[in-house]
Amino acid sequence: MIKRYLAELSAELGSVGIRGAQRRRILAEAEDHLRESGDPGRFGDPALVAARFADELATSGARRVAWGSVVALAPAGIAYAILFSLPAPWPDITAARHVPVALVAAATMVLAPQISFAAGLLAAAGAWRLRSQVAAPARAITLLRHRAGVALAAGATSLLAVMVTTYEFSAWISNWRVALTFSLASASLVPIAVGALALRNTAALRPQTAGEAGDVFDDLAPVFDRLPLELRGRPWRFCLLFAAVVAALALLGGGVLNEGPRNAVAEFSAVCAGFAALGRYLGLR
Amino acid sequence: MRAETLKGHLDFLLLAIIADEPAHGYRIIEELKRRSGGAFDLPEGTVYPALHRLEESGLLASSWASRSGRRRRVYELTARGRRALAGARRDWRGFAKAVEAVVA
Repeated sequence: MIKRYLAELSAELGSVGIRGAQRRRILAEAEDHLRESGDPGRFGDPALVAARFADELATSGARRVAWGSVVALAPAGIAYAILFSLPAPWPDITAARHVPVALVAAATMVLAPQISFAAGLLAAAGAWRLRSQVAAPARAITLLRHRAGVALAAGATSLLAVMVTTYEFSAWISNWRVALTFSLASASLVPIAVGALALRNTAALRPQTAGEAGDVFDDLAPVFDRLPLELRGRPWRFCLLFAAVVAALALLGGGVLNEGPRNAVAEFSAVCAGFAALGRYLGLR
Repeated sequence: MRAETLKGHLDFLLLAIIADEPAHGYRIIEELKRRSGGAFDLPEGTVYPALHRLEESGLLASSWASRSGRRRRVYELTARGRRALAGARRDWRGFAKAVEAVVA
């Protein structure tokens, strides 16, 4: 009877994505327990036990991966800060080895870190909202995984874009700067790769708890509730407001009479395009 | 007592039981039943996910131990788990006192 129960439990654990060493450990503990109690009926329905494992481990795993993605991206942020605080501006785009490649890489170098930063913040906000939940809704866990995944992917893309851009202009940039860029960017990719592996491992779990995923308005409810504007349920109003703030910062940062207006238009468009492309995936709308 | 009622307090109860001495899953569940006079009688298998989760969050540590030729996973509190238990005890006593004052 015990053997049959363990076989059923093993199959149910597999069906919710618990495999390998973790499944072996659970089965060993269950076997020990059942030999002591002698009553599989009291242990609970195998499907219920497996679902409970998946729900609880997926919730804590998603939270850990979300916080982990923020930590994993910190070295990339520091690398960016160092590299872009150095003097020696980039030469004209026509000086690149391959102009189209340099254009794409340069645009990516500017936009991808913003996506990474925004997705990382959303991952942290989502993890904070679910901080005391033992078994969060499956949809909320999926959303958290999406945010962490986009943050890590965009972070890695940013670093690769920096390396490609540096290569494209390497004939015009001092050797030490090229070496520094490649060293910092490569080193910063390591924690991102570790974060991506952790995400892949926890993504195998298939939680079962029903319920809504929530969105950014739930994550940051204390902030949105204090705003004089009603933004909850009006995601595009939120998008336009956020894009306007970013554009204003770009305008001031670039200088009103210099590159500011161009940067402001580019940032406004990029925020709106990003919102349209990734908004639903990241729980913004 | 309904499992739903117990749900929010299960972590606290498990930590309190394991604080007395390291124990394996079956022993923890039996102790939970014994101390509660049979009131906390859950499907036994559903306690294990909580033990695994508490271990993942660093409140418990576990290791295999062999006793009478049988391998069993033994759980014990970490230093962080002891601090969490102390905090949960304080919160619970305050809460219970306040509820008692209202309903008595």
